[in-house]
Amino acid sequence: MDRQPTKDAFLSLVLKNRGIIIKICNSYCRNKADREDLAQEITYQLWRSGKSFQADHTFSTWMYRIALNVAISFYRKEKKSEPMISMSENEIDIEDKADGADELEENINLLQQFISELKELDKALMILYLESKSYAEIAEILGITETNTATRISRIKDKLKQKFSTVKKEIWKT
Amino acid sequence: MEDIELKNIWQSYDRKIEEARVLNLQSWALNLRCFETIQTQKAKSKLDSLVTFKIWAVALGIIWVLFLGILIYGNRFENPYFGVSVSFIMLFSLIAVVVYIKHIIIIKQINYAENITDTQKKLAQLQVSTIKFTGIVWLQMPFHTTWFWHSKWILFSSLKFWLIPFPITLLFTFLAIYLYRNINLENMHKKWVRALMMAGPEYKSVIKAIDFINEIDAFKKDLA
Repeated sequence: MDRQPTKDAFLSLVLKNRGIIIKICNSYCRNKADREDLAQEITYQLWRSGKSFQADHTFSTWMYRIALNVAISFYRKEKKSEPMISMSENEIDIEDKADGADELEENINLLQQFISELKELDKALMILYLESKSYAEIAEILGITETNTATRISRIKDKLKQKFSTVKKEIWKT
Repeated sequence: MEDIELKNIWQSYDRKIEEARVLNLQSWALNLRCFETIQTQKAKSKLDSLVTFKIWAVALGIIWVLFLGILIYGNRFENPYFGVSVSFIMLFSLIAVVVYIKHIIIIKQINYAENITDTQKKLAQLQVSTIKFTGIVWLQMPFHTTWFWHSKWILFSSLKFWLIPFPITLLFTFLAIYLYRNINLENMHKKWVRALMMAGPEYKSVIKAIDFINEIDAFKKDLA
């Protein structure tokens, strides 16, 4: 893509990869209004950066780099020293929740909450890992070595698993 | 819990997003009217507002420098104390304007498509660089106490001059040199430096940026 994509091409690419924007917004923003602002900011910066996309890269890798860079900058700009958000505030805005109040939904909410508690860069690392990006791709997006990527992912995963098991035990007790 | 389980939960999250009939963010992303706004750059970009403060500062700085230039031109060095003092104040203001313009150019050149740690470090370093020229700006302080001096005043009311304005200027000179030498990154841990920095609108973010640079450096370091 040497030139700025057309409006329709750009919209269709964003639409195809909208899940990336939504998940990143949910991971970095504490409330709905901020999430909407961040989504708008990401789309705006994607459009502005259109010329920097190179055909030898996948669109999603390029999109991750921009979306995560914008999310971290936005998060650092907006971050206030307020207490952690409640779980309900962090849930994704899905209309048809009624039939999904099961263990899976609980796990999704827990995973979202645990990820939102990570530091900015660890959060980016974990999102990329969960998105099934290879260590090489993650290392390239973040600008760190593959060994570092692997070690850090392993440590964060251990922490997440530990948090899951603690919460589950507490739930079992009650 | 196995690794695969974490990924499964994440994939379920993906499916939920896909299944959802109405998603605020999704509907926003598809909102053509909103996109038109983005295209015509009327959208309010919070990140672009990083430069707004600096643009305003540059505009005010230029007006201030022009005002000082008019004063110097009007006086035509009839009173050398006034001429020299105002010239130095103008010079320091000009340095601040040039540094801010340089910052605006760097911010505009930041490419979010580059790798995350490098981009974030550049942004954080930019915030930190503010502190580097703050010291220089303090050096103008003594000139604010000399612009109203006059040769007649020095010659004919000598004792009054040496007892009041001169010691004040001397005090401000020492203070300016002290601040110039001490307001730097190495002294950011000192309480008074931090307190002084907090007085400006940008300095809270400078302190945060320093912490973030340390965090990025630690993140880039290979773990054993």
